[in-house]
Amino acid sequence: MRAYTPKDDVQKKSYYTDRFWVAPQVPKYDVSQDAVFAADLEAIKAKFDVLDAYIQVNQMVVVIHANDNYAVLELLKNEREYPQLSEMSAIDWLASEGKFEIFYQMLSMAKRKRLRIKCKIDEKEAIQSVEKLFRSADWSEREMYDMFGVVVNNHPFMKRILMPEDWEGFPLRKTYPLQGDEFAAWYEVDRIFGKEAREIIGPENRDPARVDRYDTQRFSRLGHEVPFGTDISQGEPDTPLVYQEQKGVFMIEKFDAEKSVVISDRHR
Amino acid sequence: MAQHQVNYLKDGGLPVALTTIDKVVNWGRSNSIWALTYGLACCGIEMMASGASRYDFDRFGTIFRASPRQAELMVVAGTLTKKHAEFIRRLYDQMTEPKWVISMGSCANTGGMFNTYSTVQGVDRVIPVDLYLPGCAPRPETLQYAVMMLQQKIRKEPASRAQKPKRLM
Amino acid sequence: MQQSNRLRPFFENITFDRADNEMILNFGPQHPSAHGQLRLMLHMQQEQITKAHPDIGYLHRGMEKMAENMIYNEFMPTTDRMDYIASSSNNYGFALAVEKLIGLDVPRRAKVIRMLLLEVNRLMSHLFWLATTALDIGAMTVFLFAFREREYLMDLVEDYCGARLTHAAIRIGGVPLDLPDNFMDDLRKFLDKLPENIKDYEDLLDTNRIWLMRMENVGVISKEMALSWGCSGVMLRASGVAWDIRKEEPYELYDEVEFNVPVSDKGDNYARYKLYMAEMRESAKILYQVIDMYEGTSTELMAHAPQYISAPKLDIMTQNYALMQHFVLVTQGMRPPVGEVYIPTESPKGELGYYINSQGGPYPYRLKLRAPSFWHTGILTDLLPGHYIPDVVSIIGTTNIVFGEVDR
Repeated sequence: MRAYTPKDDVQKKSYYTDRFWVAPQVPKYDVSQDAVFAADLEAIKAKFDVLDAYIQVNQMVVVIHANDNYAVLELLKNEREYPQLSEMSAIDWLASEGKFEIFYQMLSMAKRKRLRIKCKIDEKEAIQSVEKLFRSADWSEREMYDMFGVVVNNHPFMKRILMPEDWEGFPLRKTYPLQGDEFAAWYEVDRIFGKEAREIIGPENRDPARVDRYDTQRFSRLGHEVPFGTDISQGEPDTPLVYQEQKGVFMIEKFDAEKSVVISDRHR
Repeated sequence: MAQHQVNYLKDGGLPVALTTIDKVVNWGRSNSIWALTYGLACCGIEMMASGASRYDFDRFGTIFRASPRQAELMVVAGTLTKKHAEFIRRLYDQMTEPKWVISMGSCANTGGMFNTYSTVQGVDRVIPVDLYLPGCAPRPETLQYAVMMLQQKIRKEPASRAQKPKRLM
Repeated sequence: MQQSNRLRPFFENITFDRADNEMILNFGPQHPSAHGQLRLMLHMQQEQITKAHPDIGYLHRGMEKMAENMIYNEFMPTTDRMDYIASSSNNYGFALAVEKLIGLDVPRRAKVIRMLLLEVNRLMSHLFWLATTALDIGAMTVFLFAFREREYLMDLVEDYCGARLTHAAIRIGGVPLDLPDNFMDDLRKFLDKLPENIKDYEDLLDTNRIWLMRMENVGVISKEMALSWGCSGVMLRASGVAWDIRKEEPYELYDEVEFNVPVSDKGDNYARYKLYMAEMRESAKILYQVIDMYEGTSTELMAHAPQYISAPKLDIMTQNYALMQHFVLVTQGMRPPVGEVYIPTESPKGELGYYINSQGGPYPYRLKLRAPSFWHTGILTDLLPGHYIPDVVSIIGTTNIVFGEVDR
């Protein structure tokens, strides 16, 4: 029987995992350990619902409701001295819980602190744009839309950014295969030559392990074994590797190693 | 009686060389290959390095040009993505005949390590390639070798008629 | 002989035949001074740009997707191809992020070698920036000079790891090799000559009339704009924000070395140029100090963490358990703990961050590459309007964008 492969997550899976193996956790610390973060968290808690907050690898992580995202970032920017949104993107949790997780990575230069705001939205749900607060979100949100299909409301130019505009599918979703789907495989051929050229050009070779059929030195032919290095090309001509034409080139002098200067010290 | 006897039979006796049209045209073509700067990714940096001070391609007659109309060699240096594919075809079409293509580096040859949805698996799916240059990224010496191989190829081709189409498309 | 194909000039959302005076100029995606595959749609009134629309993605190779399908060590060579001007800094950022995720400390000698590689890469990158920007402005001599020095540095790295451009010289948990014998001498020789070389460039450029006209008061980025657009590195420091991750959030041995962070409050192209030159001098200063640190360190190069890192080659060849562990780590890959990290490092271009979300499997669940150039390209949207056509080239030059990094 063929092994079952889940269709909602086509990423590579480890082929063996010990039954009794329990993955260790990166330690999470309580926010009260850090006075600066605790003050920031208090400020957020005063106005908004905080679902979870902890410190992991020296950065505070605050989980909020998705519809608070603009207001929380506004608070952080204007009142808590976090002037830069250094990164934002999404994580695909559709397979396990049917949601996207969106994280905003904030940086405060005055406090030398970084914190991460996270929220979750449903697959069809849209999120509020923070482009008015941080211009950097303009492109990040477009990239998020391009890669995950997360629609952002109130964005000035909600278009694909990395993939072509007529691309189909959202590449970073777990359902999208690494090597692309049918549309991706023929994209450039369809675009340049038209669909009727598919037969002439042929499918892509996606096999990195393709071998030379006449190579008997590195590969053995199972069932048709021949001695090491035997020529099995059956008279097909081989193109010899030559550096320059043997008889010399018209009006070009051959390089004379005697007359050349060898530079021993390249730092001279 | 002539004071200065010229030995017409001896090589170099007169600044005259006898040859065929094919040979002389190919001699010209092969020794002044003007390449289009088509730096797409990492290999493009090595291509720049080969045009710069140490490797100095200019002395071999390989001069990088920025315009396809002035170039006869396209060195596709780097990863060709699906979004970019149509532009490479358009630039190739803009180059004047005769024209040659060197596919530089693994990405241009076969897609290389980027076996992903957005990478064209070999630039030869879009334009005809004369020479494949392996490496990731190939050193400037390798590019030099490729240009010399191309010179050899040019010299073997008949020069007197238009080039045959290299492939159906 | 050409067969016809379907290519027609096409430009999304933009009509070229217009009744008004506005002209639309398509710049790229294959333009020699675009530093890669940048495509700009410029709306113009005569020579002045009224609207700029950068289009990226022409080098999008799906690295984040690749990372989700690769074990951690397998991804290391892919990071090389991001900022291919200074590959080791990408390797390092990734290695550091995974090390923080595991909670691993690296032997001191590995740290010293990493510092050397990072700063050599910074020098390489800055020299390359100088060369290409000067070439775009028309200073061919500087291009040739700077490439000459860069070749020496590439030789150095080649002596170390065997590759010129794509180094993959750093491993998770340390470095693979010790330095070759002549490395320090060669590096010192280079560094001794570097001030002279930098002076050469500055003599050619600093007071050059053309250079000043193309650079001064062109492409002024205000402090607010730089912060809002997520700028980092020189782009941020030229706008008056003294923020260098090496100094403020020191990693590796940066807290043990003495160096200054050059800052300017002008925010124009010339300020950025001066900062790059100053940073080269600072890098040389750091390198001198790091060379002295190398002596007396123990010969260990990789951290000892059998669960995650393979044992040294000698152990693998002689001890059974080390071999078994190595086999498991190579075939299945290490499994870091469940959790997420975002680790920023100061790459030559700016803040290079790796966000890794690990679910305890051998493949990262999500890996986001925070590449500085992405936002430095985005800022062109707001920066270019109001400038003239020739300024576009010099502004793109000084933003120091690399498209492997922008598109990933």
